[in-house]
Amino acid sequence: MSSNDVKLRSKSGSIAAYSALVYVVVVFFAILAIIPFWYMFMNATWDTFSIQTGIKLWPNFGHIFEQLKANWTYLSNRSTFSFALGFKNSLIITVSSTVLTVYFSALTAYGLSVYDFKGRKTVFTLIVGVMMVPTAVNITGFYRLMNAMGLLGTRWPLILPAIAAPSTVFFIKQYIDTSLSKEIIEAARIDGAGEFYTFNRVCLPILVPALATQGIFSFLGSWNNFFAPSILLTKQDLKTLPLMVSLLYGDRYTDYGAIYIGLSASVFPIIIAYAFLQRYIIQGVSAGGVKE
Amino acid sequence: MARGTNTPSKRKGMSYTKFGYLFIAPFVIAYCLFSLYPLLTTFWYSGTFMQNANANFWGFSHREVYYDKYLNLTDFYDDFQGSTGINPADYGKIKNFFSAQEVADRYAPIDPEGLQALVDNGDISAETRGKIQQVIDTGDISYIASDAAVMEELNAWSSNYVDLGLTVIGQLGKVNNAATTAATVEASEDEGEDTGITAEDILTSDQYASFLETLQTAEFDEGQQLLVNYLAAYAGVDSLYDFFAAEDVSVDSDVFYYICSNLNEPNAVYTSEEGETAIAAIPVPFMNDLTEYLNANAWSTSIPAITTYSDFQGYIDGDIDLHTNQEQLYADLETIYNMGLINKQVQLVQEGDTLVPSSNASNNILAAMRQYIDSNYQSDPIKTRSSLQIVCLNNYLDGAMNSGRKKLIDAGIDIDSYISFDGSFDMEEYLRFKADIGLADVLTMEKYEELDAARKQKNQEKAQAKLEEAQAALPDAQAAYDAAVASGDEAAIKSATEALSAVEVAIADAQSKVSRPTGLLEKADATRDYLFVGFNNFGDIFGNKFRFNKVMGAFYTTFIMWIIGFIPQVLLALLLSAWFTDTKLKLKGLSLMKALMYLPNVITAATIAIFFRRLFSYSTGEATSAVQMLLDAVGHERVNFFANPWATRFIVCFINFWMWYGNTMITLIAGITSISESLYESAQLDGANSFQTYTKITMPLLRPILLFVMVTSMIGGLQMYDIPFNINQYPSLVAFNGTYIRCTQTVLMYVNELAFGKSSIKQIGIASAVSILLFILTTILSIIIFYLMRDKDAAAAAKAKKLARKAGGNR
Repeated sequence: MSSNDVKLRSKSGSIAAYSALVYVVVVFFAILAIIPFWYMFMNATWDTFSIQTGIKLWPNFGHIFEQLKANWTYLSNRSTFSFALGFKNSLIITVSSTVLTVYFSALTAYGLSVYDFKGRKTVFTLIVGVMMVPTAVNITGFYRLMNAMGLLGTRWPLILPAIAAPSTVFFIKQYIDTSLSKEIIEAARIDGAGEFYTFNRVCLPILVPALATQGIFSFLGSWNNFFAPSILLTKQDLKTLPLMVSLLYGDRYTDYGAIYIGLSASVFPIIIAYAFLQRYIIQGVSAGGVKE
Repeated sequence: MARGTNTPSKRKGMSYTKFGYLFIAPFVIAYCLFSLYPLLTTFWYSGTFMQNANANFWGFSHREVYYDKYLNLTDFYDDFQGSTGINPADYGKIKNFFSAQEVADRYAPIDPEGLQALVDNGDISAETRGKIQQVIDTGDISYIASDAAVMEELNAWSSNYVDLGLTVIGQLGKVNNAATTAATVEASEDEGEDTGITAEDILTSDQYASFLETLQTAEFDEGQQLLVNYLAAYAGVDSLYDFFAAEDVSVDSDVFYYICSNLNEPNAVYTSEEGETAIAAIPVPFMNDLTEYLNANAWSTSIPAITTYSDFQGYIDGDIDLHTNQEQLYADLETIYNMGLINKQVQLVQEGDTLVPSSNASNNILAAMRQYIDSNYQSDPIKTRSSLQIVCLNNYLDGAMNSGRKKLIDAGIDIDSYISFDGSFDMEEYLRFKADIGLADVLTMEKYEELDAARKQKNQEKAQAKLEEAQAALPDAQAAYDAAVASGDEAAIKSATEALSAVEVAIADAQSKVSRPTGLLEKADATRDYLFVGFNNFGDIFGNKFRFNKVMGAFYTTFIMWIIGFIPQVLLALLLSAWFTDTKLKLKGLSLMKALMYLPNVITAATIAIFFRRLFSYSTGEATSAVQMLLDAVGHERVNFFANPWATRFIVCFINFWMWYGNTMITLIAGITSISESLYESAQLDGANSFQTYTKITMPLLRPILLFVMVTSMIGGLQMYDIPFNINQYPSLVAFNGTYIRCTQTVLMYVNELAFGKSSIKQIGIASAVSILLFILTTILSIIIFYLMRDKDAAAAAKAKKLARKAGGNR
């Protein structure tokens, strides 16, 4: 009895030790994941000299707001970096393209799922087939097309293609197939609703969870996009936030406080949004890997 | 009853199917337009010779005219002279024709709108206006060209007409030239010519020391002294020597360049005994180095930004009204002025004992702009247009501006009758011209091909001779190397190794030139048109050693940076996912940990790259970056990470790893939790421990998900761009198979550089070909993933079928 007790205790003891070890490692990586952002935020409250002579992992107590303001003023006075402009441009492009992606993907997925038209299997197979084709490989063709259409130097080249997002269609179709019952559509038809009315007013609200998840990913993708904007948006007054941030590279500007406040400002909105939406984001990632 | 209700709804259901097409139509249209069509055209462009993103397709016929236009045979005088049948003087006429046509295209001398403004301009005599009206009616410029009195009158009017708007536009043209010259960094395709001047190089150079000595000891004349005093006051110091000799002098500062450029090329006058005299320059010996340094560092970001923001070109062309955004334009001009870039557009004049910027609008762009804004200046549209049109007419008719036309007229050819004035090249007129000068049957496509073949052969022979020479030198170099190794002298080994590898590179280079000699036709420098060349671009990629190494180097770099990040990413994700799903551990707060670990994945990659750039940046002084401080703390000497190719690559790999392991982990956790619980339970009953269940159950069942993770990650990795681009915009070079490549240049970065880089010649054709290679590679990977996913789909479909059959059976 007593030996059994010892064995049990030692086993639970070894599990506890093992758990502690696991905790240490897990916490280490969790800290590693956030420390750069913490460091960015802290440095934004210091002046250049302090940043360059010591690793600042704590805020500039007593002068936080003065220094933030000083750094921000310095940053705003630079003719190339304008946070407000970049934020506005990013927001316009991202919101429009996300709305287009979500709505038209839902429309397409609904069309593929609800109507049994000729060739729908082929269309779906093609959509799955092109899901992985990167948009970056056709950049020369796309650039010349936009040039020919006179859309270069505008935001449209980054907004309009969002109508066709194969992977979003795929995921929303999965959701429709499992969660949208045909009876609802039938009932709406019997009540005399038109097909588009049924989709917009009856089915779209039911699809909101899937649309929200896909919308978040589409939003993030568009917000963080760098390659296409760097080629298509050459005008300074159209540049998005990532392009503005990229200008902080220049070694000419050695005001580190200003650079860190610029970086922090570009990270901060995403972190806030992530704090609220992380559950959906992580669910979405899980669903992306294991197709159900 | 039940039937009665069923049948109509079923029939109605049949008619609904057409809505399916309607619902998917926007997607299909947008996909075809924005993805499929560009992809197909990229395929097409990969088979073309295109040097400009705006080029038009030349067509499949009259290729000899294309080469007449874009190939300059006089550059290849040896080939040209050797060939019989073409008189160089006659060939010169072709070049003159195209130069005249180009002037006509650029200035549109008989643009109807501009001529109409002249006709409406009451200041001009009725007779002249009648002639101009005739030009509008007939489209024949000779009514003006043949009558010298017309242009005389127009010029007389124009020189008396003062318009502040025109003055500003004219000066903006000069500013634009100055700014674009400064902003144009020559893209370097040459091997290993990274000069990399640093601020320290300039400040410690002998030239800088001698400049300081000049400032201290040289005798300046009255004007120069005025300039020196003005600049000292500008910098806020007592004497310029103090400024340049100061401890904290910064080469990067605007004031520094402003002062240097003003000394080197002053635009200033002072009142001497002989009246207004230009102030002589005080040469700044390190000026070239300074410009080069600023080009590579400070200006490369700010000048292009300013020039694009201000749209100078738009104002000059008249596309943008000067009244739009004028305060911004003024602010930008001031910025560029303060950088010292356009000091030539602001004259300094003497006032009392000091120099001041001239307030005369025609000598000072800033004053002109200010005056323009303050007086809310409005131009008379008809007179302004008249004035501009007179400039265009002059540019076309003036022999100095349009020497091609003048030479042809001197040769007795009525060139105006062949030129097309509507901005597009008229092939028929050109062929008529070519026939009239007697070259139509001489300079044909066959002739061009003959010249091309001759040149190829000559180059091949040259390369062959070089190859033999290098091969003959190889044994000696090898022997010298062996001897050096035997002697053990390190310096000798190093120099012998270099000599040996130089010989080896020469052999490889000569071999590739023998197998693929350069000809004549690819030297055509086309700006407006492109030709179809079949698989030449792919031939270039795979046949030209230099190009092959660049392309394969980019693929290699991309792959290596992906795989080095990916391996630890998957290993860590496997470990963490095993822990996170281990029910025995009973860990708390896991969802928070998961959320934290996933965080880097949602942050803008460009931001992260810039951050790491700052974190690792290198300096020797007291002020430095965090990582260098850590190195100091552990007593290690500082490391210039971005000067070392592999260190830069490892930083990129680390960022990739750090951004993506959370994502992989969540995918794997989802995979593990989808494995049936009963399997684990039975394993536990059999007495398996955590490790055993993991290796015997989890791992095998995770294999498809791991494959999925790997393939998607690889497809994403092949498109790597944001991080390597932002981590080091001037990456160090590294040898790859005998050619120097940029250490972090990925495939997309290479495509971007070729097609949209800073070089004036854009190699759209080769960029498209590289894109197509990338496309083929990703397609192969996509097919793999498609099969992975399709298996599950097929299973689901089979299940659905079964259910349907069941349901049918019930009915």
